[in-house]
Amino acid sequence: MTADNPTRQAPSQVVTTETGRMGRVAYARIAPNEDLVQGIEKMCLAEGFENAFVRGGLGSLVDACLGTLDGGYQQVTGPAVEVVSMAGEVRSTESGTPVASLAGIVADTDGNVYGGPFLAGWNPVCMTFEVTLEEWLPDNPDTA
Amino acid sequence: MTRTIKTGYHHPRMLRHAGSFNPVRIQSMHYQSGRHIRLELTPGRTLYDALVEPLYKIGVTSASTTILGGYFDHLEYCVAPPDSSGKAVIAYSSPIDAGEAFMVFGNATFGKDMEGRPLVHCHATLRTETGQVKGGHIVPQASVIGPTPLSVLVTAIEGFELRQAFDEETNIPLLKPHRES
Repeated sequence: MTADNPTRQAPSQVVTTETGRMGRVAYARIAPNEDLVQGIEKMCLAEGFENAFVRGGLGSLVDACLGTLDGGYQQVTGPAVEVVSMAGEVRSTESGTPVASLAGIVADTDGNVYGGPFLAGWNPVCMTFEVTLEEWLPDNPDTA
Repeated sequence: MTRTIKTGYHHPRMLRHAGSFNPVRIQSMHYQSGRHIRLELTPGRTLYDALVEPLYKIGVTSASTTILGGYFDHLEYCVAPPDSSGKAVIAYSSPIDAGEAFMVFGNATFGKDMEGRPLVHCHATLRTETGQVKGGHIVPQASVIGPTPLSVLVTAIEGFELRQAFDEETNIPLLKPHRES
């Protein structure tokens, strides 16, 4: 990551591929005022998932905070801001801490849409958030 | 309303809901291995019927689905403004008619309502008949698949089910995972 812009990745020095298979499937309902990104990370802690892909996600946020290219953020004011499309994954650090990277499209109370990465800690759930994760099991976990 | 901010910290706001606080903040369940299904939504059927009937036929009653892009002969969606009645924090608006529309991408959760009937909860991004790109809660019973089948990736849920139940905290019925009844 660049030092002054955590939403942008520095160019990778090595192109990597990772083979593996899908494992367990988990579904969660995240309650109001929980952060979307950290809620999915906590779900991985609860279910024992180290790595996972988002298979589905929909729900509402109080307000949405999406990262911008210059390292700032765009705030979309609700309530509610609906998450209408979402993709992402969870990867665990060497110490086992799950880190979710989520991006998506949100709609405000007029149905206008905005897109970008969801910033951890700044996207509180409004009414509910439904998420389905599918566990990713790398063939060589040491390189994951 | 939206605003773009260069830098700086703001304190994300929370909301106080109508009902009592539930100390369990993440209700999750898992099963051992995912069963995936590719489904084609039949032209001329409602989104509800086109999802529910073929999945019920193969014994799937709870699922998470990804709806890939495709045309609708007619599509209706709702947005979620504050609830003026005060019963809940927000309430869905009346359906908005998008006309003949293109669904860019959608996610739908499939489960059972409080009476045990099939329930489809769908959010999607769409392009309306007038060319505007919008997003919201799709009304599946009022939205009709266009002339070309839409592909859907279904992740079936097994070993537990998704069932709507009244949520005391938010004061509305919500889908949650439950052990199969």
